[in-house]
Amino acid sequence: MRGRASRVTVIAAAVTVVMASVTSCSSSFGMPRGSTEQGEEIFDLWQIFFWAGIAVAVLVYGLIAWSLIRYRRRRRESDADLGLQFHANVPLEIIYTAIPVVIVIVLFTLSFGTEDRASSVSPTPDVVLRAEAFSWGWRFGFPDEGVEVVSEPSAEGVPGPEILLPLGRTTRIELTSNDVVHAFWVADFLYKRDAIPGRVNVFDVTPTEMGTYHGVCSEFCGIHHAYMTFTVRVVDQSEFDTWIARGAAAA
Amino acid sequence: MTTTDHKKLGIMYCVTAFTFFLIGGALAGAMRAELADTGSQLVGAQSYNTLFTVHGIIMIFLFVAPFGVGLANYLVPLQIGAPDMAFPRLNAMGYWFFAGGGLLVLLSSFASDAGGVATGWYLYPPLSGPRYSPGVGPDLLILGLALVAISTVMSGVNVITTTFLMRAPGMTMWRLPVFTWNVVVTAILGLVAFPPAVAAFVLLLFDRRLAGQAFDPLGGGDPIVYQHLFWFLGHPEVYILILPFFGVITETIPVFSRKPLFGYTGFILATLAIGALSTGVWAHHMFTTGVVDNPFFSAMTFTIAVPTGVKFFNWIGTMWGGKLSFRVPMLFSIGFLLNFLIGGITGVMLASAPLDFQLADSYFLVSHFHYTMMGGSVFGIFAAIYFWWPKAFGYMLSERFGRAVFALMLVGFNLTFWPQFVVGLRGMPRRIVDYAPGLGWDTPNLVSSLGALVLSAGVLLFLVDAFTSRRRRTPAGDDPWGGFSLEWATTSPPPEHNFSSLPRIRSERPAFDMRHPELVSGPPATASEPPA
Ligand code: HEM
Ligand SMILES: [Cu+2]
Ligand SMILES: [Cu+2]
Repeated sequence: MRGRASRVTVIAAAVTVVMASVTSCSSSFGMPRGSTEQGEEIFDLWQIFFWAGIAVAVLVYGLIAWSLIRYRRRRRESDADLGLQFHANVPLEIIYTAIPVVIVIVLFTLSFGTEDRASSVSPTPDVVLRAEAFSWGWRFGFPDEGVEVVSEPSAEGVPGPEILLPLGRTTRIELTSNDVVHAFWVADFLYKRDAIPGRVNVFDVTPTEMGTYHGVCSEFCGIHHAYMTFTVRVVDQSEFDTWIARGAAAA
Repeated sequence: MTTTDHKKLGIMYCVTAFTFFLIGGALAGAMRAELADTGSQLVGAQSYNTLFTVHGIIMIFLFVAPFGVGLANYLVPLQIGAPDMAFPRLNAMGYWFFAGGGLLVLLSSFASDAGGVATGWYLYPPLSGPRYSPGVGPDLLILGLALVAISTVMSGVNVITTTFLMRAPGMTMWRLPVFTWNVVVTAILGLVAFPPAVAAFVLLLFDRRLAGQAFDPLGGGDPIVYQHLFWFLGHPEVYILILPFFGVITETIPVFSRKPLFGYTGFILATLAIGALSTGVWAHHMFTTGVVDNPFFSAMTFTIAVPTGVKFFNWIGTMWGGKLSFRVPMLFSIGFLLNFLIGGITGVMLASAPLDFQLADSYFLVSHFHYTMMGGSVFGIFAAIYFWWPKAFGYMLSERFGRAVFALMLVGFNLTFWPQFVVGLRGMPRRIVDYAPGLGWDTPNLVSSLGALVLSAGVLLFLVDAFTSRRRRTPAGDDPWGGFSLEWATTSPPPEHNFSSLPRIRSERPAFDMRHPELVSGPPATASEPPA
């Protein structure tokens, strides 16, 4: 009896922990909300996926919990007692194969649309930013304006470079690497791309919120990978212009 | 040392692999200690990079995969009613290739002038090339992995041949135990996936030592080609890591539900579908490279969720209407279901290319794959250990200890890895020795490290259980669980050639049919069996 009660307690506790951590992340489910037009697209998709995930989890955990509780062997039953000896149920099997097929088709269609929008590149960007990763740091150039920000090689205690981007304008980022594979990731933009030597990856960001954002190298690139960070500050156009005019020097 | 008996080899494989688990776990503990707090306190950056590289390689290639091979070696001949594997000496050679390869991998982690190998487990060039990783570490690792790959191919050939040619009379493919089915598909995947990986490794070795330029952009090579070849192995590999343990829990859940597997045929078809699909999804590891057809690989990856979902319904349908007894193997199988579901749901998120732009290479991903491999495969491994230990050694492991091991591992595992989802969404990338304060990463990391302590306590308690049970030797009898498949119809441990006599095989549950002749459907017991 005690064993069974404690089992139920364990399950209840586990469910509580999961629910608590889910709700504590509020409705963004722990994801930054996306501070760019592209990121907001991805954020919307994330919410759909998360709700779908919760629905599946509730259904499957519910069925498992029901089976464990309802069909546990009772004390009056012996170890040799058998359960029902049915083997299959073809109509049911067809249904439970078809349901995931439908879910998956819907999710794929949605995510295909999102990728199209989030990765579409404008032919007429307002700003072009050339980002070149190297071991271990970043060279950020604004070729149209003729200015460049180069970081000190990163290491413990050396802060990465800072760049400014104008609010509400589309910046095209042309990303490459000088040596090994790195990656450019600003979590608040919900977007990352690999920086690959010999190739240029192009994507747009259109910031929708002023703020200071933490950026990292997200592809392992050697000893100082952990310190290969940078900062993106989204400011209004006039502050951006002043910064460019001063040669992109730190304020 | 010179044995060719499949049972001894199987046990040697499992014991060696489990030893590698303890080593890999110790390395993980060192990493979790380092990450408990911001700043870098315990290990330097270079050592940390070696730690996660070697931890990943050990866990994948020297623990989970060979443990599956060990189980297959031990069980396949018993489950199909054969006296041994088809090629006993090849089998022994496979073990020694694995052990030798493992030794080289261990050497690669420190025996090097420029420090141990520190490239991450997938050895991406140019980082793994001669310019950025000049030491001998990567060479040793490549050679070690090549030996392990050859060993995998050897055991794969053996499992396939044995299953196709040595089944006892009446053991048709549609009566084959599900574990055997799963390791056959695993073996086929090994044959498909490992050769291209060996090709990639050999090219990398040329680049490193013979001035080859295959993957070096400065010499006109292409690092992306390496990524394709590597993931053509890497993705099927993750199914090599999970299928045998799908097999394990699909053996245990029916036994402890006192019911046949629900939807046997559908389950096997789903396994075949997973095997086939898993060879066509590799570039979902390359969504952020910007040079692959994301929608195609995304669609293929989503599709794999379907047969996986089917299996969940097989397992639930099996428990439905049963008489569940929560013995330790059943507890670990339930733990597998609970953890693996989270791995599966987050896997579908990662399959969406735009979501992957955020989640790739973050701690969210680290957590996802630990939910499948640690929460899934390793829980399956513990289910297997507690289930087949009495068969292999003739005495029981302790039920009381086992329950405590399970509780500590379930709680510890979720405490360790759930916070990693959170910290990943907050932007923490993987493979970093250190992180800055003030980013909301501190608390989840501390919780995760404490969770790893609880998890380790569970694993250590298992070792205590193994030693004390060995001393106590509570006799197991031939069939302590009321098992279904043929291995429960012989003695524990089985005699040298496995069976002195075989029961009639009229379904996928011959040992059950033997105890319950009144329930056998199909031809009457006097009908003659088809010839072998
Ligand atoms: C025993 C519990 C385990 C703990 C506490 C643990 C912990 C960790 C940690 C801290 C990392 C490094 C994360 C990073 O810096 O990016 C890691 C990476 C990894 N782990 Fe585990 N792990 C465990 C078990 C396993 C198992 C059973 C497997 C698989 C079969 C596994 C496979 C991996 C892989 C493939 C990596 C990635 C290595 C790389 O980035 O190159 N781990 N683990
Ligand atoms: Cu990096
Ligand atoms: Cu994959």
